[in-house]
Amino acid sequence: MAKNPETDDTMETTKQNQSEEEVEHSDEQKQEDELRSLLLSDIGDLPLSPPSATQVNFVSYFITDFTKPGHDQYIYRHANGLCVIGLAPTHIAFKDEGGITNIDFNVGKSDRSVLKVSGKRKKNAMRSESNTALCKVSTAKDSYIVRCCVKGSLLEVNERLIKQPQLLNSSADREGYIAIIMPTRPADWTKNKESLITLEEYKAKKEVSL
Amino acid sequence: MSDESKPAPGGLLNGLETQKTRRVNEAARSLHPSAVKDLLSLGVCERCILRLVTVTATFDSDLATVSSSTLRGWLGSGVEEAASPEPSICIVCLGVLQFVFSDAKQTLVKSDHVAWITDLVKQQGHEFDSFVLEVSLPSTISENERAVLLYLKGKYSDEAWLQSEKVSVKDALKVLVLDPLRASLGAKSDSSSFHIRLTYSQASDEAQGLSETKHERKKRKTDEENGSNCMSENPFKKVSEPCILSVHCNKMPIFFGGRYFKYSRNVSQSRWIIDDERMGEASVEEIIGGSILPACLGDSYKFHAAGREDIDVRMLGSGRPFLIEVQNSRKCPSQQSLTEIEEKINNSEKKLVGVKDLKFIGSECWAMMREGEAEKQKQYAALVWISRPLEEEDCNSVSSMKELKILQKTPIRVLHRRSQLERERTIHWMKVEKIKGNAHYFLLHLCTQAGTYIKEFVHGDLGRTTPSMGSILGCRAEIIQLDVTDVKMGDS
Repeated sequence: MAKNPETDDTMETTKQNQSEEEVEHSDEQKQEDELRSLLLSDIGDLPLSPPSATQVNFVSYFITDFTKPGHDQYIYRHANGLCVIGLAPTHIAFKDEGGITNIDFNVGKSDRSVLKVSGKRKKNAMRSESNTALCKVSTAKDSYIVRCCVKGSLLEVNERLIKQPQLLNSSADREGYIAIIMPTRPADWTKNKESLITLEEYKAKKEVSL
Repeated sequence: MSDESKPAPGGLLNGLETQKTRRVNEAARSLHPSAVKDLLSLGVCERCILRLVTVTATFDSDLATVSSSTLRGWLGSGVEEAASPEPSICIVCLGVLQFVFSDAKQTLVKSDHVAWITDLVKQQGHEFDSFVLEVSLPSTISENERAVLLYLKGKYSDEAWLQSEKVSVKDALKVLVLDPLRASLGAKSDSSSFHIRLTYSQASDEAQGLSETKHERKKRKTDEENGSNCMSENPFKKVSEPCILSVHCNKMPIFFGGRYFKYSRNVSQSRWIIDDERMGEASVEEIIGGSILPACLGDSYKFHAAGREDIDVRMLGSGRPFLIEVQNSRKCPSQQSLTEIEEKINNSEKKLVGVKDLKFIGSECWAMMREGEAEKQKQYAALVWISRPLEEEDCNSVSSMKELKILQKTPIRVLHRRSQLERERTIHWMKVEKIKGNAHYFLLHLCTQAGTYIKEFVHGDLGRTTPSMGSILGCRAEIIQLDVTDVKMGDS
């Protein structure tokens, strides 16, 4: 009998399919290898301790002895203009035995923690002046008023601190930040900045190393 | 209609009449003679008379061949004295149906109408085998036509031909021009994506348009409309010069799709210029668009991508789907030349950006766009540093977390322009890849729901994203660099 053309055809197709699959498979492998080499090749010299996101993304400013001795606060300014406000390591409250035990945002005319800012235009934001009271931190011995330091809109306060005031003692410069303020106009910030000192100036003045 | 007032030219041509001339003659004979006389003396052209004083709403190129003298001939004596040696510009169509017009430099064009249009179309260098003809006319034409019809209605209110629908100047022009244009362009005319637009405008309008604000023009228009009621005395705007005709060609946007790679941490996805200063050294948009546009001989392009990454994040692995929309392209590059474009980008010296699967996309592009919105999952590789050495246990605990829900407050870095919200996102899975010789670093491979802020998930954004890599491992975590390794679309 002569060869069956149909069967031959089928066999040929199967063969082709197989080789195509092989090609695909090796293509995938090639892509995977390429990706790996791209990922790894970009890893350069790894510093022992890289700069933190806070250090990279913010410029640090300080205000010392603000209205009262030892009332030292930091202002971390993001490239987008927003300012994170918190307690500087030399704040007098940290010197009290047991550190800060309580924080109260109900100061001045309103409770800062119940204001709800909404939308891109930051409706309902409280307007702050640099000496507006932001909150009160208490220690076993005393309590201290923390101020806004920046003229602008109060976007948020760190509500976590109400339940976990110890974050102020353990990581005041990160999870223990107190508030975020957006300066209203660039001119306000320029003027505001005159009352602040830089990180270098702060270190020199308070004789601390950070 | 009375037959007595009409001469009988049929007798002279009897037997010699072709079918066409018979039709024309029949049509002409059916016209109301005194109405035709009135319109001729008002300065309405033959073609407009045929349009307006016809019983049946037909207007074809045969009828359009009727000349002024023929028409006058049928009507016999009594109108000859009104005829001027130079045919004046029709008060209704402003010369549009007489093929009298000026070019952009306001010089009268006397050559063949269709040949003139053909020349201009060819100058624009489009490749096409079919076209759509669009006509845009000055508003004076319809205003004058309304006035003429009003005048006729006043005089012949009970005539049947007045009640029938009239063929507009626009449609009449298309009837006259379309066939010869098809022949001279060697193209069909159908629902094509290539449009030829004939824009007739009045010289006086153009001058006014320049010195008038939109508001003023609107005011003038309303004033005119109010005034039109008392126009029966002198109802027509005087016309002394022909319209200016300009020809515009426009090809509907064509689309190309593919996936792109971004190999540089200093290239943005879209052109990004703040205060005249470029952010990054180039953009994906410009590298790809700038390569495709010349091949299409288009006017401009738009870049659409399924999602985006930060300037300092590379796009590797699968690449990210994108579309390029090219406006008014003169030609559509072949798949071979698209492949060449792709190779050119991929083999460029700096190799900032790569492209794959570049292809022409027809009507399915909108499906792709929708698919693009349905960007579901993304895979990343993040280089992470932690403040304590990584332990074997960490690798296991991180890898065992599946479908981890996290809460992210709007990151501080975008809070200035976005609402303050807390969003829940899902981390589908994570894998830790150790880095030889440095226990503080590792590569974190993770697959997340679209819209997750990865950088914040790693460093915690001052505790505003919880949990974060730092809170999971109980130490400080920093993200050194980030790459997108896969973008999973709707159904893939």
